[in-house]
Amino acid sequence: MIYLRQLVRQQHSASALPAEVRRLLGKPLRRSTPLAQLAVAGVFASLPDAALGMPLAMIWQSSTGLQAETLVILDEVCNASCEPMPYDFLACQPAMVAAQINALLPSLQTTSHLPLEDASHCQWGTSLALASLWLQEGRYPQVLCGCLEITDNLARGDWLLLATSPGDTPLATMHQSDSAASETVTDSPDFPARLEILLAQPAGSDRRLRLQSPALPKLTVEFAR
Amino acid sequence: MSAMRPVFLHDGALVCSRGLTPAATAEALWRGDAASTQCRVGQQSFPFQALPLPEAGWWEHAQTAFRHLAGQLPDLPDDLPLFLASSSFDIGGIEAGGAPFSLPAGSAAFACQIGEWLGLSGPRSSYANACISGFSALDAAATLIANGLIDDALVLGFELANRTTMAGFASMELLSRDASRPLDRDRDGLVLGEGIAAIRLSATPSEWRLAGLRTGLDTHTPTGPDPSGGPIAALLAETLAAAGMSSGDIDLVKLQAAGSPVSDLAEAMALMQVFGQTLPPLLSLKPALGHTLGASGIVELVALLACLKHDQIPETSGFRHADTQFSTVFPVHRSTRPIRRPMLNLIGFGGGLASMILEREA
Repeated sequence: MIYLRQLVRQQHSASALPAEVRRLLGKPLRRSTPLAQLAVAGVFASLPDAALGMPLAMIWQSSTGLQAETLVILDEVCNASCEPMPYDFLACQPAMVAAQINALLPSLQTTSHLPLEDASHCQWGTSLALASLWLQEGRYPQVLCGCLEITDNLARGDWLLLATSPGDTPLATMHQSDSAASETVTDSPDFPARLEILLAQPAGSDRRLRLQSPALPKLTVEFAR
Repeated sequence: MSAMRPVFLHDGALVCSRGLTPAATAEALWRGDAASTQCRVGQQSFPFQALPLPEAGWWEHAQTAFRHLAGQLPDLPDDLPLFLASSSFDIGGIEAGGAPFSLPAGSAAFACQIGEWLGLSGPRSSYANACISGFSALDAAATLIANGLIDDALVLGFELANRTTMAGFASMELLSRDASRPLDRDRDGLVLGEGIAAIRLSATPSEWRLAGLRTGLDTHTPTGPDPSGGPIAALLAETLAAAGMSSGDIDLVKLQAAGSPVSDLAEAMALMQVFGQTLPPLLSLKPALGHTLGASGIVELVALLACLKHDQIPETSGFRHADTQFSTVFPVHRSTRPIRRPMLNLIGFGGGLASMILEREA
């Protein structure tokens, strides 16, 4: 059985991110991009204390990625025609997000970043299917799936923590589904909001929500309260 | 859970500095070809393993390279799931557009263009985990096939020349000024390269089975692993366990080793911890192909399989003198010994680790 342990939905002004990180960690996160700060804040908001030391895998997606940082490096390399500042190059590498989280959370075992083709395109179906299979295989006891976007001054993050153990209060169960009986949503940025509505139903409710990727119907997963 | 299906490798396609097909690449590797071009960054010049294509603008260069790749692939169903891996995507094309730079709507928008060039309009997912991107994509595709959620997939790695990556690596002082010398006493950095490769994964049997693949993290520093090799050794042990094998079953290791002072040391230390004093033959393809970063997992996989098709293990160009810190760890000379169970390693910028074991079916 796979359990949904947490659904965390973040929305901050980019300028408020450092304070949010300091609130969660008790210290500032230095030399980090807004995307890395959003990721760190999301990871620590999603993991209950008892889960912090347990091996964790993370699958995260983003369409905007490190756009502002990429523009900085492009300007340095192409307009100044010289070597960029090393930090500026590191800052535009998505892999550095994982490095910053791992420095604070040694139980993070692996991460995979799925960049998106545009803001309307999501990989929740693939992310949740992979998480589910890794959990069933016994690779990891918990997998955190996230979607992070930073546009203008707005930083948004949606996170689902899935685990093989229910913890104290699991929010829902998740399983692969080929049933057509329940409410179905397609893979889109709205999916976390739809899941949030399901979770607002009383525990024991028979409401279910299926996430379906039309091009890959076997990846369909169903959440039940 | 239901029993997992075996996953097999089919139909490799490759465009790299050593040739425009896997067969041409294998021949060049066996000859020991490793000549490079030069790439300027400001006042400095670095070797670079460029594709052997006529000079052209970035977009024309990319399209020509993908046309060569597509020409090697068999007819594929247009709804075949496509898993893409890169660490730079179309940054070279954005550079070519000039200032003010216009970024695409999504950082993987180029994947859509690649799908069109290959005639594949089915589901796509992209993976950007620095140098281990290729194995991240393979892992995702193989996991879905093994569990029966898809039956086939095309996994594609690509890395095309761009100033941003070259200048960034130069700024980090990670590049050699003359050559890549994996595991050598005098190694002094990487040589970057460009390459595109694709391999089809399937539940249908073929000569090579994907026996085990695991990814991990070693964020000792942002650009280099723990020099003790401990986290890498742990990942290799995990991969062996996933494959149901012991270290004695491995008869070749395709190294990550790129000539980096720290990463080569860490990989050598890890190999000694896992294999003890009896190491299998070791090989690095990076002196000849360049480090193709996010594409390297797939580029080196397809190149290796092309070599093993003729039971040829090429020499590791650039290696001359063993390092006294790990004097028992050095690349094999050319060999024609048949290989049944190779291990392939990747160590990434930002701490990514990956290892894969293949098994040749009897």
